[in-house]
Amino acid sequence: MNPKRCAACKYLRRKCPKDCIFSPYFPPSDPHKFACIHRIYGAGNVSKMLQQLPVQTRAEAVESLSFEAKCRVDDPVYGCVGIISLLQTQIQKTQTLLAKTQADCCCSNQT
Amino acid sequence: MSSSGSPSSSCGGGPCGACKFLRRKCVAGCIFAPYFDSEQGAAHFAAVHKVFGASNVSKLLQHVPEHKRADAVVSICFEAQARLRDPIYGCVSHIVSLQQQVVSLQTELSYVQAHLATLELPQPPPAPVTSSGSPPPLSILDLPTITPSLYELSPIFEPMSSTWTMQQQPRPFDHLFGVPSSSTIGGSSELQALARDFLHGGQIPADLPPPGTGGSAPTVVKRE
Repeated sequence: MNPKRCAACKYLRRKCPKDCIFSPYFPPSDPHKFACIHRIYGAGNVSKMLQQLPVQTRAEAVESLSFEAKCRVDDPVYGCVGIISLLQTQIQKTQTLLAKTQADCCCSNQT
Repeated sequence: MSSSGSPSSSCGGGPCGACKFLRRKCVAGCIFAPYFDSEQGAAHFAAVHKVFGASNVSKLLQHVPEHKRADAVVSICFEAQARLRDPIYGCVSHIVSLQQQVVSLQTELSYVQAHLATLELPQPPPAPVTSSGSPPPLSILDLPTITPSLYELSPIFEPMSSTWTMQQQPRPFDHLFGVPSSSTIGGSSELQALARDFLHGGQIPADLPPPGTGGSAPTVVKRE
């Protein structure tokens, strides 16, 4: 058993085994990270998701889950889809402005 | 998702998609019933259940005002499906892809605006010929960065059924944008590298594909 429990096991109030699936990714120094993930996904779901991934990809998966969980906590209605929407709007407006500017260039070239 | 049925969540027509999936009795007032119809709703709920879990989604919805729950369900379904498609990065890969497009477009816009500015300036008289030759050509790196202001967040959802949340105004977007294919960026490994950088607070790489190649608009895909 780990002498120092990981943030996940601390949050879940359980012993932290040597082979704890969470301990490499949830150090005790950052309890908020697991709290967010647990609130949105649940410990069981996260554990299953990580078990289905190769070990070398789990750290990235945890980071992306943490990001999405935080977005969902901050914006319970849209989560990170709100960011996607914002970016898509930005793209559309920039494309429109670009097309207009290119048209202006053509007009200036012709005069 | 739900394409019929009233928002009053009555279950006279049989269990909703969520309760069908969970194999439980669909009670009156079931929180899922307005959003997961009996037919296609079960498939959508399966993804949501796998990623978030029924009780977590139920708690999430309970904390959202009722007139916003339809939007919340759609965004949750979107995230769940994105996560099942990409178990490592989920929606993050989509965000990174869009950010790259924004940067690419901004770069192109800066260049074209600078070009327009040179066209609109009055032409100076021809300089006397000197031995030093013409000035060096303007580089893209010399141009100021145009930072568009943050636009007001526009909800992208439309009610799946006109009987949902009658108080809502019509919204501008019809469909959820699908996750772009990796071929628009240059391969899934490159996208994953960008997603890693994004998650660890890195910069979008400077060596973006030239305008007009990697910066194509995202494909609008009707969500399944």
